[in-house]
Amino acid sequence: MAQPKKILVVEDESHLAKGLKFNLEREGYVVVVAGDGEAALELMKGQTFDLMVLDLMLPKMGGIEVARKIRETNTRFPILMLSAKSTEEDKAAGLEAGADDYLAKPFHLPELLLRVKGILRRWEWYKEPIHDQETFHFGEMWINFDTGKAQGVSKEFYLTAKEALVMKLLISKKGQAVTREELLEKVWGYDPETETRTVDNFIARLRKYFEKKPQKPRFIITVREKGYQFNPDP
Amino acid sequence: MSKLKALFHPIFIFVGIQVAWIVLMAVWINWYLKNSRKFQEFAQKIRPDLFADEFNWIILLEGCFLMLIILAGVYIIFVYWNKQARLNKLQSNFVSSVSHELKSPLASIQLYLETLKYQEVSKEDSEDFVETMLTDTERLASLIDNILASSKYDPKSMQLQFQPVEMGAFIREVVLGLKRQFEERNCQVKLEGEEDLILLLDQRAMRMVFNNLIGNALRYSPVGSPLTIRMQKNKKYCEIEFIDQGMGLDKRDMKKIFKKFYRVTNKDSQNIEGAGLGLFISNEIVRSHKGQIRVFSEGRGKGSVFTVALPLNRVVKRKAAVK
Repeated sequence: MAQPKKILVVEDESHLAKGLKFNLEREGYVVVVAGDGEAALELMKGQTFDLMVLDLMLPKMGGIEVARKIRETNTRFPILMLSAKSTEEDKAAGLEAGADDYLAKPFHLPELLLRVKGILRRWEWYKEPIHDQETFHFGEMWINFDTGKAQGVSKEFYLTAKEALVMKLLISKKGQAVTREELLEKVWGYDPETETRTVDNFIARLRKYFEKKPQKPRFIITVREKGYQFNPDP
Repeated sequence: MSKLKALFHPIFIFVGIQVAWIVLMAVWINWYLKNSRKFQEFAQKIRPDLFADEFNWIILLEGCFLMLIILAGVYIIFVYWNKQARLNKLQSNFVSSVSHELKSPLASIQLYLETLKYQEVSKEDSEDFVETMLTDTERLASLIDNILASSKYDPKSMQLQFQPVEMGAFIREVVLGLKRQFEERNCQVKLEGEEDLILLLDQRAMRMVFNNLIGNALRYSPVGSPLTIRMQKNKKYCEIEFIDQGMGLDKRDMKKIFKKFYRVTNKDSQNIEGAGLGLFISNEIVRSHKGQIRVFSEGRGKGSVFTVALPLNRVVKRKAAVK
């Protein structure tokens, strides 16, 4: 029996927190509740969690700031953001701050549980090593999937969680074409609103990091009518 | 692009108009002084009867006066525009905070209903869930009351139904109705002061005032901090004080706190729910009872005291009538 997954629920509305805890525990997760942002970060220091369910409106430190703080030290810790704000801008702000997924209140219980499961599954898959070592070298560049740190064409920098996932998926299937649909499903998970164009935008961004001439890519190449392919030794 | 946009900021436009106006005025005076003589000579050839020989001050002053009127017009437009812009901003803040306010209890109710639908729940748990949902519906109802009241309650048209109310019992009843909220915030309520006062009130409206004040005291105080409700009378008024040991207010906030949509914005309060309506409505209601509502705080972090003063003289009359 695998160890149960541990989830940190950060929610100041005590009613919602209680309900979330009840349901997540029913699904077999271990749940810890934090009432504000500072308490959540404090808990993160002492324990390891597999997922954070993070409310956006929190006393002391808001959800966006909490997500940013976590991303400063850990680029890929999975965060599911909950918020009563449901406009596209709010959603974009949440995802930009580092959330892996965004669910607007009021939400449906089955959908919440599905998303939690989806994020945890992607996280599991991501944790599988590609090689014996976590740092993958290509050309004069490298990516450390453990820390998210990477050496690009011009400088060292940190990949975001999703960028790292895209690179990981492409590299794990190097030499083969990966379809946009597969990228969408594995990286973005179940989210009908995400379009295949999103994938293209991510690829464009990654090419800027890793290609000397992003217009004429050597490593991340487009396979017509299929998708994208990683080419380790061009 | 944003720099260009900033140039169209009303302040710049206003200053621009001022400068243009002064320049125009100078040009006008200059032109008139220089050319009036030539102009008159020219005109005199055509209609000599219209012009006197000496310098015509009236036309110069008329020109200045006209421009002054234009300036005044622009100024008035600017003042109103500014007012409107501020209202729009408050309004949009209001919409976003209200939607958050409405969605939170709704999300909680939905979560518990779906839990009951999809999970197997023991009897104690389901009873607890129902209680929680009821508290949430109360919260929703009081918020909706506030919103409706704020759009409808114009003091003149407010239709209040006054009836004699025994204040001690009334306040105890209000507190009892909020029992669960007190428990959740682990708050000890202390009732002090005179009990046997009978005032003429609209009970429903006044309950809203007390609910708002107590609700604020709970939300803007740390968990576990106590609340004292003290009732006392002086010559003309019965004063009910709500004394909390919460966040307190600074002077600037104390001035503005009863304004519609106004919310205290600082780091500690930024994520506290609220629509900026409760105190506005409370103030309107108390004023329609010919009373006053006041706030006092020694400053940030030092708690605050909200005082509702309701006139006594109406009681005596009514008491006599009752007798």
